[in-house]
Amino acid sequence: MSKGFASNGRMTLLALAVLSCFLCVAVRLIFLHVIDRDDLLKFVERARRQIVVENARRGAILDTKGNILATSRSFVVLGADPELLRREDERNWPELARLLHVSSEQLVQLLRRGSAAHALALATPDPAVKERRIRWVKLADEVDESVYDRILALKVRGVYGTRDYQRVYPGGQLAAHVVGYVNKVGSPVTGAEHHLNLYLQGSNGWIESEKDGARRELAQFRSREVPAQDGCDVVLTIDSVIQHMIEDELRAIAAKYDPHFATIIVSDPRTGAILGMANYPTYNPNEFSKSPLDAERNYAVTDIVEPGSTFKIVAAGAALNEGVVTPLSTFDCGRTSVFFKGRELKLPREDHAFGLLSVAQIVSHSSNRGAAQLGLLLGEEKFYEYARRFGFGQTTRLALGGEVRGILEPPARWDGLTITRMPMGHAVAATPLQIHMAMSAVANGGALLRPQIVREIRDAQGAVVRTFTPEKREQVLRPGTAAQLAQLLTGVVGPEGTAPDAAIPGFEIAGKTGTTQKLVDGKYVNNRHVASFVGFFPASRPQVVLSVIVDDAKVPGGTAYGRLIAAPSFKHIAEQLIAYLDIQPVTPAPRRFLAMDGGVR
Amino acid sequence: MKLNPGLDLGSFFRVSTRERSDWVTPVCLVLLAVGGVFFIYSAQLATGREQWQQQLVWLAAGSVAYVAASLLDYRLWLRWAHWVYLAALLLLLAVVIPWIGSMRMGARRWLDFGPVSFQPSEAAKFAVLVMTASLLTGAKLGSVRDSLETLVKLALAAGIPMVLIIAQPDLGSALVIAPMVFAMLYVSNLSMRFFAAAVGVFALLVGVVAFDTWRYAGFLEENNLSPTTDRGAYEAHSWLPLRDYQRNRVLAFAAPDRIDPMGIGWNQRQSLISVGSGGLTGKGWTEGTQAKLGYLPRSIAHNDFIFSVIAEEKGFLGSITVIGLLAVVLWNGIRIAGLARDRFGALLALGVTVLIGVHVFVNIAMTIGLVPVTGIPLPFISYGGTFVLSCCLLQGLVQSVYRFRRDF
Repeated sequence: MSKGFASNGRMTLLALAVLSCFLCVAVRLIFLHVIDRDDLLKFVERARRQIVVENARRGAILDTKGNILATSRSFVVLGADPELLRREDERNWPELARLLHVSSEQLVQLLRRGSAAHALALATPDPAVKERRIRWVKLADEVDESVYDRILALKVRGVYGTRDYQRVYPGGQLAAHVVGYVNKVGSPVTGAEHHLNLYLQGSNGWIESEKDGARRELAQFRSREVPAQDGCDVVLTIDSVIQHMIEDELRAIAAKYDPHFATIIVSDPRTGAILGMANYPTYNPNEFSKSPLDAERNYAVTDIVEPGSTFKIVAAGAALNEGVVTPLSTFDCGRTSVFFKGRELKLPREDHAFGLLSVAQIVSHSSNRGAAQLGLLLGEEKFYEYARRFGFGQTTRLALGGEVRGILEPPARWDGLTITRMPMGHAVAATPLQIHMAMSAVANGGALLRPQIVREIRDAQGAVVRTFTPEKREQVLRPGTAAQLAQLLTGVVGPEGTAPDAAIPGFEIAGKTGTTQKLVDGKYVNNRHVASFVGFFPASRPQVVLSVIVDDAKVPGGTAYGRLIAAPSFKHIAEQLIAYLDIQPVTPAPRRFLAMDGGVR
Repeated sequence: MKLNPGLDLGSFFRVSTRERSDWVTPVCLVLLAVGGVFFIYSAQLATGREQWQQQLVWLAAGSVAYVAASLLDYRLWLRWAHWVYLAALLLLLAVVIPWIGSMRMGARRWLDFGPVSFQPSEAAKFAVLVMTASLLTGAKLGSVRDSLETLVKLALAAGIPMVLIIAQPDLGSALVIAPMVFAMLYVSNLSMRFFAAAVGVFALLVGVVAFDTWRYAGFLEENNLSPTTDRGAYEAHSWLPLRDYQRNRVLAFAAPDRIDPMGIGWNQRQSLISVGSGGLTGKGWTEGTQAKLGYLPRSIAHNDFIFSVIAEEKGFLGSITVIGLLAVVLWNGIRIAGLARDRFGALLALGVTVLIGVHVFVNIAMTIGLVPVTGIPLPFISYGGTFVLSCCLLQGLVQSVYRFRRDF
């Protein structure tokens, strides 16, 4: 280079400058390639991994006949990718607008706004912005599946949707307390929705894959693909027709008496299957947020009342079962006090003055003093034992949960008068369902059954995966005793009974009225009552147990007697049930009682 | 062998049969170009575009240009410098005229000729090189006072095309011309005072841009504006003829955390990730994920950011090989400049080397985060029609200088 034209020194300097630039680059490369490599690699992994969840469809809740009580409606959120829109599809835009119920102008505006933003991003010289252009413009929030199918048939490229589910209750408030509801964020809150969620929820599927720089999924990098498993359908024992009957009746009661609450329960005594269970007040699960929280209570299991005279089946049943009396044994129901364990105990008041009454009459006339004497005859321990065996003081283990046990104190905690008051249903508290199931035990030959609300579980394809069978909890009475007691209970609607108007000739209505003064601030008050009528029919071969319990019915200037408030409703429903269930009248020809065949085992 | 010292046309168009030629540079260039084709293929694998085939066509054309330029005596250009310069100016003027130059991505940089398009800024680089060399060959340089006339001529010769290129706008292509001119002045023994002043002006310019960018960042924050969506808001407030997207790039380089790393800083960040994740030996050819999955934006992976693709797929060994080959080419260029016995030849070889060197350094430095992002491609490797052609032609000049240099 010595002979070169340019200055030797300057040329060398220039060469060194170029060399040092390259050295800088090489050093930087060593840093990036070797030293920072692991961090950068991790970043690559993190940025690309994605999990896409595929929602499972929640199972439906059906009634025993297969009618839908709750279901998940799938709908589609519709949108468009401006990049994929084609000019030749524009002739289909008016039809698309018609299907979406928007004007053509609105739709074009939506699509064009997306396209304009898209074109703007495309026109920018900055490639980074260009790659993050708009790829989704929402066109409609909820599109029905059928409409979506028609939109797809239009074949407008770039218009597509994503699927979602919404819970709907086609029957509105029908069986609302049994079915429950799913709240806005998809959590089941009450009823079958909550307590049978295990079956209903199904399991979401997911796809683990990678996404590219424009955040699109790379299907070829799917590392795991777990399909969503739709939830099972739950078939309840509820019969929508019966449920309708009792809800209509409740509405009538509510309109007439404005009670605090009212409950009607219908079940099959042979299986314990609940055919209908309804409460007033109620709510519409589609619009649950519009009702007060109290309306969501399933009063049949969450609230307790003093059972009152309906509880006399415990005293009568126990006394007959223990053999200490026969239906014809008589008691003096005119006396006001008795000696018990060396003390004189005042007997409770009667509504009417009675004299000498047989056990059958005590039941049919609903004599408080008679019931008290039956209790005294049994003794505290025995009486308590039978109350327990009838299911009081313990939950019925209904599958819907939320149940309370009621109040039944052991004799050790009774005061001296309790043995005279409890047989008439005071000093004890029970849920409507407990009272109902106790009556059901009398109807079916003495067996206390677990109330059954779920009949079977079907998978998403409709195959039955689990069936539920009747479950017996206890043999409360001997079948013969139960038959005797059932016979006595038919006397309640007899000419001498407390509710003669509830009789339906030929169908052997057996039942018991109840009228309990309400406890207000620890004292029984005269003007507020729980009226009830709990019974079954036909008494010899019972097919239906029916309870009507009305808490604090407002009767202007009168007492809300069970006979007045509950018995007419009982009769009204019973008439409908006879027609609907096609219950045949009992022929005069001698027939064997179910209980005589051994009852339900 | 005796060479005809005259400058008559006949001798220039006579194809020389000299046995002397440099083999180092062509071998390196072929290796780089072939490698480049492979990585253009790899970078576009996921997009379905196959521009590696076009690149082959351009390279074939480039080879013809290279051979032609090396067979012609470089002194031809001394005589033709003014005409070459005039032609380049006309092309530059044509491209900024709206109905002639074609608009792409908001800039007029191309002249369309049916299936091929032409970038007049490449012709301008060649023209400015030849013009500067020719001016400096006939001038006497020394102290600034003595060289003032030449300097003014040079300023006009280099300045006019630069202004026209900036008007396209294509700041990057315009700026690479400056170091070339300065380097040629430098080896022409211009007074060191001039360069001291030039360095001062450069530092001032960098300072002004830095200050402007700092004010821009403050402006954005104060008015709660986004650098992406509110572009153009600041342009009215500043007397610097910079666009906000350019400020964004400077900001993304200087303060990557300050500015949206998922938007503006995206390219450089992803490029760093590409390079780094390659490690020592790389993920393997066509196995790189950054470009394939579009993290390294697909519109630029095969041209401006081809080095990231190579670094990711071939690792440190691959990138150091590329740099090594390019360094050999540049070093050889300076060596040939030193071998030249006439001013014009030396200036030509040096100018080419510095021009290519600036492209190489700025491009690679950009992909590894040493300088802000500019749209300058990597010579002989990046995809690009006119650019490939112009690089080949320029290296052909160097070969010509080697072949036709005087030996006394």
